[in-house]
Order: sequence, then structure tokens, then C-alpha cells
Amino acid sequence: MTTVMALIAGTLYGLIIGILPGAGATTGLIFVFTFITLFPDPYLAVVFVMAVVAASTTGDTYTGVLLGIPGANSSAATMVDGFPLALQGKATYAISAAVTTSTLNGLLWGLLTFLLLPYYTNLIMIFGVPELWAFTVLALVCVTFITNKYWFRSCLALSLGLLLGLIGVDPVTNADRWTGGWEYLGAGIQLLPMVAGLFAIPELFEGLKTRSSTSVITTGNNLQTKQGIIAVWQNKWDALRGGLIGAFIGLLPGLGGAVADWIAYSSTVASHPNDKFGNGNIKGVIGPEGANNAQKATSMIPTVLFGIPGAPFAAIIIGLFAYLDFELGTLELANDGKFFNSLLIGFILATVLVGWLCLLVTPLIARVAQIPYKYYFPVLLGVIVLACVQYTGRWEDYFILILCSALGMLAKKYKFSRPALLLAFILADRIEALTVQMTGLYTVERLLDRNIFLVLIVITVITLVWGLTNKRKIDYA
Amino acid sequence: MRKLLLGLTFAMVASVAQADYTMIVPQKPGGGTSVWAEIVAKELEKYLGEDINITHIPGARDIPGFNTWHKEMREDDKVIMVSHGGNGVSFLQEEVAYDYRQYESIGLMNLNIIAGKAIGDDMTAPRFAAGSGMVPEAFAMTMLLCGPKNSIDEYVECFKENVTWVSGMSGSERRLAFRRGELNGTRENPAAYKKHVEPDENAEIWFHHGILQSDGTHSDDPNYPGYQFEILFEQRWGVAPSGDFYNAYKLVKSFRDGMQKALWVNAGNPNATVLQTALTEMSNNADSRAIIEKKVGKYEWKIGDDGNSHRDTLMSFVTESALTDLVQFNTEALGLRSIVKDNLTK
Repeated sequence: MTTVMALIAGTLYGLIIGILPGAGATTGLIFVFTFITLFPDPYLAVVFVMAVVAASTTGDTYTGVLLGIPGANSSAATMVDGFPLALQGKATYAISAAVTTSTLNGLLWGLLTFLLLPYYTNLIMIFGVPELWAFTVLALVCVTFITNKYWFRSCLALSLGLLLGLIGVDPVTNADRWTGGWEYLGAGIQLLPMVAGLFAIPELFEGLKTRSSTSVITTGNNLQTKQGIIAVWQNKWDALRGGLIGAFIGLLPGLGGAVADWIAYSSTVASHPNDKFGNGNIKGVIGPEGANNAQKATSMIPTVLFGIPGAPFAAIIIGLFAYLDFELGTLELANDGKFFNSLLIGFILATVLVGWLCLLVTPLIARVAQIPYKYYFPVLLGVIVLACVQYTGRWEDYFILILCSALGMLAKKYKFSRPALLLAFILADRIEALTVQMTGLYTVERLLDRNIFLVLIVITVITLVWGLTNKRKIDYA
Repeated sequence: MRKLLLGLTFAMVASVAQADYTMIVPQKPGGGTSVWAEIVAKELEKYLGEDINITHIPGARDIPGFNTWHKEMREDDKVIMVSHGGNGVSFLQEEVAYDYRQYESIGLMNLNIIAGKAIGDDMTAPRFAAGSGMVPEAFAMTMLLCGPKNSIDEYVECFKENVTWVSGMSGSERRLAFRRGELNGTRENPAAYKKHVEPDENAEIWFHHGILQSDGTHSDDPNYPGYQFEILFEQRWGVAPSGDFYNAYKLVKSFRDGMQKALWVNAGNPNATVLQTALTEMSNNADSRAIIEKKVGKYEWKIGDDGNSHRDTLMSFVTESALTDLVQFNTEALGLRSIVKDNLTK
């Protein structure tokens, strides 16, 4: 197998995984465990894996825009304005803008990441527990007070997300917490049923009502592809800012694509106070979409340099690379030029390839929305359910998925911010742990000496005040 | 469509009829033991002549998977359980269903765990990541710091006064916090120590726990000579460590490190000998050994009777007083919920 074959195979596989609702890079990489040893050369497997990451991150735009179902939780922000655009007959326009932004940010941050990888160590070292805590709080404030105009309901959603996210193990006593004696909940509610229940399932059933016979979406033509590319140029600062935010968040261990996307989306909304969002504003697609690809690229920095996953998908990569005898975080690997070249080739060329492929066939793929909904509804539902019952495969998985779906439908109906609920759920144990760590390791005096921490706190307060006073916010829940 | 369904059904039945071996791993893919199991399974298949499928049954503290195997799957002759040191610690202090005394060892890896510290730090005020997996380090640093004491209460008090026990850190967060200097101590298995601590110019070895011998003693690690806890304690305090607190330490460190990675089948499993033979052949092959050692370091396999004997040695450390002291220190000093399991001494 040659590098080209590994690249094409990884790109196509990643694109398909990205398009599947509820899947995304993490799920796609888990499946790679089953055939990773079939590669004749471990460096080819590295190319394949990086191609999967790049392609799935671009591909997950499709279902978000076309069906209102995020391909992964990290593409949910793109969906807010992307799906209304599709309903207006501008699906190709939205996807082409999203793919162009993804490709450009993927290339920019991919090159900056993989060419300069050895020089980033210092950035990681100055971002300690207090800064991570402040940044996590900032993410929660952004998603609660900026992306939804019903801020009180968002606070309730945030609280519920935190409560649900804290089910599992108490980090201090190491004992089960709020599990009601149910062993299944000992490891907490799993992410996938929560994401699918909050977003995918409600949108699917919504589609049954609105698209019961045939799709109302028209896909346009090649003209929309050009318009999408032009829109990126016209809103280049939104695209670049989104990429910058994603790149920064990618550097911070544990903060996944969802955080990057929502902060990028929030910053886009905040940057255009006179624009309306949530009803099909192309800026709402361009802003967050590049963050995702940039975050995927830069999260490889802590992953490769320290063996510390920069995001959930990177934790899988560490396992996969260990399988291939590549020990991340070692000096031995740091001197392996072929390994770094494989990372670079896999990510960059796959970004180009998938970008070109998507722009070429978007009008074709977008026609999926013209298929009568009743035909692909059961297929999508089946794929989502299948993905969500991988944890144990038992009845408990189905039960939790049903509960999460009911929660998602209620939240959607009554305008309780689902993004806030989801992000709080994802970050609950992290914010708790960081709070415990910060109070254990730092005194107030020591915290006041940390400039980055203070800057983040100030930004958080400004964001909070702006969110509470600004009336021009989106109506997305 | 009907033909397709029939074909699929036939393929599934044929697959079941082949009845390959299954390894139950009590955690998600990508975890340390999961990766180890994947590597071992791939190597073992070559000598076993049959495929080994990996089934992950994850859950809190990796207990549900082991419990499920114990309660529902261990009667199946083709199912192998994979366990790690954390399961050993939970066995001592938590309400779990599994019980090592009822199983036959296919093989286990008797490892050592190495603690590192910030270079030049006298470690009179350790800042260390908490968690049930860190209990042996808490015991060791308390004794090194506080010296010979008369009672558990004194050790608890000394620990609370001197140690900052930082909860909620994953392994990767702990490594980063140590590199940043937020923690001044850390610990790793030998392979991870080489990867994460040794290359760090601001870090140096603090102590290691030693390698459990068949006579129940712990010997110095030839990879880190002179840094065994017992040696350092005697150098510092002029006497060898002893007493109830030390016995509790010896108990918990042995159950974590002595069965750091292990393969089990139910007692009386007719395939045990076949599996042990295959594992022996695998462990004698330099290439296979090298692949596995890259993950955990150079430590010997204890296979079959040796594994069972090793397990029996561990069980000899289980006394009522050691369990009681372990639980008291866990709850009062470390804040960990744990229980005294009377049934272990019966």
C-alpha cells in the first residue's frame, strides 16, 4: 500500500464517518482499532489516521446543514444557521462556505501545527490549572449568555447539564455519586446518547412533521458553490477569528471541538451586533466551521509532544499510535522525522483532498435532502441508535438514549438551550475537578499573580455583562 | 433481500460456531489496559492458533466489567478476563463481586511502580495527585515523611499536615501538572516513567515500591537500584519500616503492582493449560516479549502455577488489621470511601 492509497482510503473513510449523524472523528477512530494492524507500514497507518481526522472534521458539516443533525457534537454550532439556509434552498451555498472555511483553516493551522510542532512546548507550560478553570468558565458563560436570548432558561439548562454531568464518580471520595445504586451509571451518562438525544433525535422527529412526504429543501446549483466561496472571502475575518479560537482551544488539553465551535459562533454573533442569527446567516456558518478544523490540528500539539490528549479524539489516537509502537511524548519520537512527515502529509493532503471533493460533489450529496424523508428517517435513526448502544450494547444504553431524547425534545420545544445543556454536561466533571485542584494548589494571593488567569476572568465578566444586556441574540435552543 | 438476510444469518452462526477466544477488558478502548490487552491478544493468537476477540465492558473504576465476567461469563471456557492493578486495590477496599481466589491464573505481570519528584525538592511538602490508584504512594510518602510512628492516627495527622492531595486529575493531567511544577511528585509504571519522567530535566526519581518476590518480600529494582522505599526509609530513619501501617502499605502496594496486568479464567477451565502453554511460548519469544515490554517495561511473566502461587502470596498479606488500617487511612487521610471486607480473611 502506498502513501497515496492510505491517504485516499483515510479521506474517504473519514468523509463517510463525518457525514454519518452522531459519528465524527472520535467514533470513526475507535473503529480503526479493528484494522490498524493490517497496514504493512506503521507510517502509512499514521497517514491514514490523520486523513480520517481531517476528512471527518470537514465532512460532519453535511448533516448539520442538510438535515439539522450534527455529524458530531462539534458541528452543532454550524447547524444553527446552516440548516435554515438549507431550508431556504441554499444548502450548497452553506456547505460550500463551510467546506471552504474548513479547508482554509485546516491548511493554515495544520501547516502551522505540524511544521512548527517542536516549538510549541512553552505555550502549554504557562497554561496551568487556574487558567484552564477560567477558560472553562468562559466557555460556559459564552454558550449560556450569548447563544440564546432566553438566558434564564439557559441557566436552568446549564444547571441541569452540570447535574447530569456530575453523575458518576465523586473525584474526591472516588465513590459513586447520584447513581441510585445503578452500577451502569457509575461511569456517568455516556456522551454519545446525550449528544444524539439532545440534537439528533429531536431534529429527526421534527423532520417527520415538517418533511413527511418530500423535502422542502432545494439544493441549488454550481452557482451556489461559487457564492459560498465568495462569501468566505467577504467574511474572511470571521473565518480567521474562528480558526484562531479553535486553534487556541485545541492547545488546551481536554477542551473538545464543541467548546471551540460555540465560542467561535458566539464571537461571530458578538462581532455583528446588527445582524440577525439563527435564521440562515452565512456568517453563522463561516464563523464556527473553521474552528473545528483548526482545533483538530492544534490539539495534536499536546498529544504528540506530551502524550496528553488535546481532545477526546486525541485520546483514541494515543491508543492507536501505541498500537503502532509510536510512543508519543518521547524524545525518541521527537527525532523521528518520518513520523512528523506522516502527520503532516496525512492531515494537510487530506484537508485539500476532502475540500476539493466536497466542493466538487456538494450539489450531488446535497440532493440527499430531496429524497423523501420517510425513506431515510429509519436509516438515520438506526445508525444513530447503533452508534449510541456501543457502550454496553445492553438495554441500559437504549433506556438512557430514550431519556436523553425526551430531554432533548422538551428542551427544544420550550427553548431551553440545548448547547448550554450539552456543554455543561461535557464540562461538569472537568470544572469540578479544576475547582478542587485550584483551591487545593493555589491561594488567592498566588492567583492574583497570574496575569493570564486575570485576563480570562475579566473577559468572562465582560462576556457575562454583554450577554445579559444585549438583546440581539439568536433564538436557537 | 431474503437471500441477503439468510446469508448474514449464516455468517453470524458460522462465526459463533468457530467459538474464538474472547478477552473481557473492563475499560473502554484506548485505555492503558485495553491497549495492553490488544497487544497481548495479537501476539498470543500466533501461539494459540485461534483468534482472540476483545470485548470491552467499561464502567466506574473498571469494576463492572470484572463483576460481569465473574457473575455471568466465567463459566464459558472460551472467555478470558483481563485485569489490572486498580482491580486489585478495589478488591481490597470496595464491595465487588469478583474474587481472585476462585480463578486460575493464565499469566500475570509482576510490575513495580516508580515515583518521581521535582529535582532537588526535599519533599517535605509533597503535592501529589489523588485517587484510589495512588494509595500506595500516599502510604509510602507518609512513612518517608513522618518516620516510625506508633499509631495510624498519628500517620493520618502527619499526612494531613504535610501533604497536598490533589483530587480529580487524570493521568495525562497529572503529567502535565507535574511538568508545570504545580505538582512536585508523580508516579508511573516503568515504561511510562521512562517516557514521561526520565526525559524531564527538572525531574528525578523519588522512590519505587520494589518487586514482589515469591517469599513475600519486596526486592530492589535493578533498573532503579537504591531507591526502593524500604531502603530509603531505613537510610532516613535508621530502622527498617515495620508495624501495622507498614503492613497495610505492603498489602495495598502488592495488590496493585503484583498483579498489574493479569489474565484469568475460571478455576477448572479445561482450556487453561492450552492458554498457559501458548502464553509460555509467547513469553519465551524475544520479539513478542519486546513488543509487550515496550508498553509496560521489562518485567517477567508469572504463568500458570507461578501465577497462582503469586496470587496466594498476595492473599497471605490480607489480615484483619491490615485491612482495617488501610480503610482507616483511606477514609480519614485520603477522603476515599472504602470498607473493611471481613470476608477476605475467611
